[in-house]
Amino acid sequence: MQATLTIKLARVAIVIAIFALWELLSRTGIVNPRLLPSASDTLATLDDLLQRASVRNDLMVTATEVLAAFALAVPFGALIGFLIAENRYFADVAKPLLFFAFSIPKSIFLPMFILVFGVGFAQKVGFGFFSTIFIVIMSTTTAVESVKVEHLTVARSYGATRAQTAFRVYLPSMLPVLLEALRISMIFNLTGVILAEMYASRDGIGHQIATWGENFQMKQLLAGVVMVAAIAMTFNELIRWVETRCSHWRT
Amino acid sequence: MSAKTLRHLIVVGLIVLWELLPRSGMIPELFLPSLSSTLLAGWNEAGEYGHALAVTIYEVAVSMAFACGGGILLGAIVGSLPRPRLLIMPMVSSLYAVPLVILYPVFTVWLGIGSESKIAFASIYGFLPTMLATAAGIQTIDPQLLLAARSMGATLGQRLVRVIIPAAIPTVLSGLRVGGALVIVGVVVSEMLISSAGIGYLISRYRTILDSPHVFAGVLLVLFMAIAFNTAIRWIERRAAIWQTGMRAGQNAADEIGSGAMQPAT
Repeated sequence: MQATLTIKLARVAIVIAIFALWELLSRTGIVNPRLLPSASDTLATLDDLLQRASVRNDLMVTATEVLAAFALAVPFGALIGFLIAENRYFADVAKPLLFFAFSIPKSIFLPMFILVFGVGFAQKVGFGFFSTIFIVIMSTTTAVESVKVEHLTVARSYGATRAQTAFRVYLPSMLPVLLEALRISMIFNLTGVILAEMYASRDGIGHQIATWGENFQMKQLLAGVVMVAAIAMTFNELIRWVETRCSHWRT
Repeated sequence: MSAKTLRHLIVVGLIVLWELLPRSGMIPELFLPSLSSTLLAGWNEAGEYGHALAVTIYEVAVSMAFACGGGILLGAIVGSLPRPRLLIMPMVSSLYAVPLVILYPVFTVWLGIGSESKIAFASIYGFLPTMLATAAGIQTIDPQLLLAARSMGATLGQRLVRVIIPAAIPTVLSGLRVGGALVIVGVVVSEMLISSAGIGYLISRYRTILDSPHVFAGVLLVLFMAIAFNTAIRWIERRAAIWQTGMRAGQNAADEIGSGAMQPAT
C-alpha cells in the first residue's frame, strides 16, 4: 500500500512538474509567450471557454457524433466478430482479409466519405464507424477465442441451456477482453471523429481547434487541446477502473 | 473449396466489382470512379504524383528515424528498469488515449506549413505506440536465459551481444512495424489537413474540386506505400527469424503486440 501511494504521488509530481516547466518557459520569455502562452493563462482561457454556449454546443455535437458512431460500430462489429470466431471455415476465409483491412490506414478514405455523405453529421458518424469497426471485429474474435473449451464442455455435459452457457460461461470469460476492446475502440472512434471534424466540418470541437490554429489564437488552441486530452484520458481511466474491478472474473 | 481459393476469389471479385459497378452506373462515378479511370488518372499525372510521392517519402523517412529511434531506445530503457516502468508506463498508455490529431494545429503555428510540422507531428504520432510495444516486449525476455549466461560467467558485453540483443530483435521489429505504419498515417493525415505539397495535399486538392479519379489515384498510392512498408518489415522479420530459436515467449508477445491493440488509429 505504501509503495502504490509513493508511485501515485510521484506521478502527480511529474504532471505538476510538466505544468510548472510550461509556466516557467513562457513567463521567463525563453519561449515566445505569443507562441506558448503560459499554463495559467491557458487554464484561465479553458475556464472561460467552458462558459461559452458555442463551445458547449460544439462539445455536444462531437459527443453525439462519437456516441452514435460507437453505438453503431460496437454491436455490429461484435456480431461479425462472433460469427467469424464461431465458424472455422468462415474464419479461415475472412481473417487474413480483416487483418489486411485492419493494417491499412483508414484516414486516407476520409475524402471518400465527404464525396458520399457531404460534410455533415452522417459523414462524421460514418467515418467514426469505419475507423472503429475493424478493431471491434478483431477484439471480439480474440475475446471469443479466450473462452476455454473445457468450460464449454463441462457446461454442456451438465446440460446447461443456451442462455446459461451464454451468461455463465461466455460472458464472464469474455468480459475482461471486451472491456479492453471497448476502451481501445473508443480511442479509435474519438480520433476518427475529431480528424473528420478538423478536415472538413461546420461545427464540433475538432473544427473549433482547427480554426483556432488557423487564426493563431494560441491560448484558445492550447486550451482546446488540454480540454480534449482531459476528456479522452478521463474516459480511458474510467474504463480501466471498471476493468480492474472485473478482473476477479478472469480465471 | 478451400478457404484460400475462396479468399482469392473474394479479392478478385472485389476488384472486378470496383470496375463494373461504377461502369454500369449503379454507383455514381463521383462516389467511386472505376478502377481503370483511377489508374488512367494517376498515369496521366504521373509526374505530379511522383513529385508528391518524393516529398511524402522524405517526410516519412525523417519522422521514422525520430519516432522509431526514440521510441525503441526509450522503450528499451523504461521496459528493462522496473521502477521507471511502474511509474511511467500507466501514464504513457493513458496519454495514448488522447487523439493526437489535435496537436497538429499547434505544430503548424510553431513550425509553419512546410515539411517540419509534418515531421514533428508524425514523429510524435509514431513515438508512443513504438515505445509501448518495445517496453512490453523487452519484459518478455526470458530471465532464465540471462541467469544461465551469468552463471556460466558471461561478461556484460557478452550478455548484451549474445543474449539481450538477439532476444530483443523480434520486439524491436514489431515496434518498427507499428511505429512505421503510424508514421505513414501521421504524415499523410497532416498533409491532408494543412499543407502545400505531398500526396495528402494532392488528395485534398482534388477532393475540393470533386475530381474523384485523381483522389482515388492518390489513395491507391498511399495504400501501396503502406503495403510495401509492411511487406518489407515482414521480409526482414523472416530473415531475422534465425535469431528467434527458443524464443517462443518473446515471439508470441511480439506477434500479439504487432497484430493487436497498437495498430494505426485511423
